[in-house]
Amino acid sequence: MARSLKKGPYVHYKLERKVAANVEANKKTVIKTWSRASMITPDFVGQTIAVHNGRQFVPVYVTENMVGHKLGEFSPTRSFRGHAGAKNKGKK
Amino acid sequence: MKKEDCFYLGKIVKKYSFKGEVLAKLDTDEPELYENLDAIFVSLRGNLVPFFIESSQLHKSELLRIKFEDVETEADADSILKSELYLPLEFLPKLEGNKFYFHEIIGFKVIDEHFGEVGTIKGVNDSTAQALFEIDRDGVEILIPMNDEFIDKVDKPNKTIFVKTPEGLIDLYLEDE
Repeated sequence: MARSLKKGPYVHYKLERKVAANVEANKKTVIKTWSRASMITPDFVGQTIAVHNGRQFVPVYVTENMVGHKLGEFSPTRSFRGHAGAKNKGKK
Repeated sequence: MKKEDCFYLGKIVKKYSFKGEVLAKLDTDEPELYENLDAIFVSLRGNLVPFFIESSQLHKSELLRIKFEDVETEADADSILKSELYLPLEFLPKLEGNKFYFHEIIGFKVIDEHFGEVGTIKGVNDSTAQALFEIDRDGVEILIPMNDEFIDKVDKPNKTIFVKTPEGLIDLYLEDE
């Protein structure tokens, strides 16, 4: 079910505060966040957000076409390195 | 021909028609460049085997419909299904200016405008929407988004990439040490 329009997009309040401070000061300092569920709003464009994936921070340079997506979408938590048996498959 | 001397072009994903034709999904932004090839390497049991192309044409957006010589039946096509396709590195069109292929920049030095020498590129992570440089600095992995905003200059002869990263990006990885 979609989030109510009345509430507006979810952005963690601390992250929102840091982005607002950066925009106001016209700075591009990297902002660290663990809030993967926060939505990217137009204020984020041009900022670099380091989004935690459970292991490390993945830097995301926010562009216009990312607006409306969640930060977590750009910081994958798993890395697919192929199936275990695939390498030896042909040798049998 | 070794895999190191070739680049990955795509993969055979489907059979097409009953005459042994196949559909290959190409891993490229410009599939039309590879529409009229004479031959292609197919990876079979870890070896690259050259296959001559009888005819080929683009199919929908990024698929290439290929009819190989000596692949005449559906059973023949089955034997090469899901195989990867390779071409020699010489077939890649040369890129100029700040453009580069991902395999080209492995081992390049990265120098930041403020920080100085960051480290050596050990790989490119393109599993995310935004590709990332994976830089090795004395065993510490540093990630920098591959973005025109950050890349200042690519000096291919000297194997160096000059970047302009925002404040705090590199320190992010070094403070955990």
